Amino acid sequence: MGAVTTPARRPEDAERDADVIRRIRAGDRSGLDDLYDRFRRPAFALARRILADDALAEDVLQEAFLSVWRDPAAFDRGRGSVASWILAVVHHKAVDAVRREESQRRRQALAEDDLARSTPTAARDVEDDAWSRVVAQQVRAAMGVLSDAQREALTLAYYGGYTQREVAALTGAPLGTVKTRMLSGMRRLRQELGGTGVQDGALGALDGATAEEGRR
Amino acid sequence: MTPRPPASDDHEPFDELAVGWALHALEPEDEAAFAVHLPTCDRCTATVAETTEVMAALAADLPRAEPSEQVRSRLRTAVEHTPQLPAVPEPTRPPAAAPASQPSAPAAAPLPRWRRMLPAALVAAAVATIVGLGSWAVGLNSEREELRSTVAAQGAVVENLLRQGRATVAPLTADGRQVATVVAREGEVTVVTQQLEANDSSETTYVVWGLEGEEATALGVFDVDGSQMELKTVGSGLTGLDEYPVYGISLEPGREAPSEPTDVVATGQVTS
Repeated sequence: MGAVTTPARRPEDAERDADVIRRIRAGDRSGLDDLYDRFRRPAFALARRILADDALAEDVLQEAFLSVWRDPAAFDRGRGSVASWILAVVHHKAVDAVRREESQRRRQALAEDDLARSTPTAARDVEDDAWSRVVAQQVRAAMGVLSDAQREALTLAYYGGYTQREVAALTGAPLGTVKTRMLSGMRRLRQELGGTGVQDGALGALDGATAEEGRR
Repeated sequence: MTPRPPASDDHEPFDELAVGWALHALEPEDEAAFAVHLPTCDRCTATVAETTEVMAALAADLPRAEPSEQVRSRLRTAVEHTPQLPAVPEPTRPPAAAPASQPSAPAAAPLPRWRRMLPAALVAAAVATIVGLGSWAVGLNSEREELRSTVAAQGAVVENLLRQGRATVAPLTADGRQVATVVAREGEVTVVTQQLEANDSSETTYVVWGLEGEEATALGVFDVDGSQMELKTVGSGLTGLDEYPVYGISLEPGREAPSEPTDVVATGQVTS
């Protein structure tokens, strides 16, 4: 990994994150405190964006970090960074929560909001450090190169918590088209966020031969 | 629109599923199919990891937000009262023989499958302890001896879980992968969901069926909130719930069990 990780987190953070996970695995409660300190803001920002409700987002935050405490072995070093794992846990739980909590009417209203928001905007809160600002700009730029349809599909799934079939219904596109848009959009984002000179990973792999090995 | 890769790449459908999986946006049937594929495929494993990294990067562009201080104190309190699951020991023993009493399991590669199941079994042990199901004292699956030797150090919890009890246990599989376990007693059925996908509880329900010959009897209904392991008691007031040779789970439209299952998502024979 590292291609996409690099812009998202400072490189030196990786070792510190790994150490925090080691402490949590050893039963050190202060390790979870540190993990929470480190990721509470992006985790809360994400949960809040998905749930559009601060109280629910805080519940999800607590649930997500508690699940990390309960089962720290769920983190698999081979599969990516601690940061992306934590945010994936939060994303998963927030999406589960939004599917549980939202009435259909509210979901519909949020969907319209998500569609509107899939248009990139320059006006955002002022980030509190230069690094975050750089990353945020990269993300915005990367989102900007997506086609409208790709951006819409990914935004509805990632922030809206909609399944592929729901995205298809909301956007009036066939399910297969939605799946393709999400994949091509992700490939594009990875390319943009990975910077130049980065080897294509699995997302960008065009060579079917290597894939055959893993097929069943 | 970015040009599609060459049509000769017949892995493309799996690439699409991998992205949807990471986004937690797959339909249940796709998710079930991909759950079987993912552990066998390095490329999809990498695609899921990369998509997860991209998703994390996207979060960097969200408006800043600070949770209230109460979350920290609530979390601390919860942590103090929450035992950690035991770490999964690295398997160092030679491959075990395929369990003979699980006819639905494919003969090939029993060990990798078993390795994946071990954490699930340990989670079950912890869940059973957490919810205080003292009577839930039966083997979870036919790998009982393997499990016992591997996790002997876990002592009472595991012993309690593995002790033979008066209950019927059926591991349910979908495409060879264990997705749930039914523990049936005289008047109560408990489902441990391991890989069942969340259902929309406003529109659908899972139904547990007792299967015998051509007959299917609905034993109870339940919902799955998330993809984590959960323990559901679905007792329906009937008796003789532990008398079926085969159990199954179906996903049904509506909120009530139909007279017969429409979309069976998993089945399994009784092993104990």
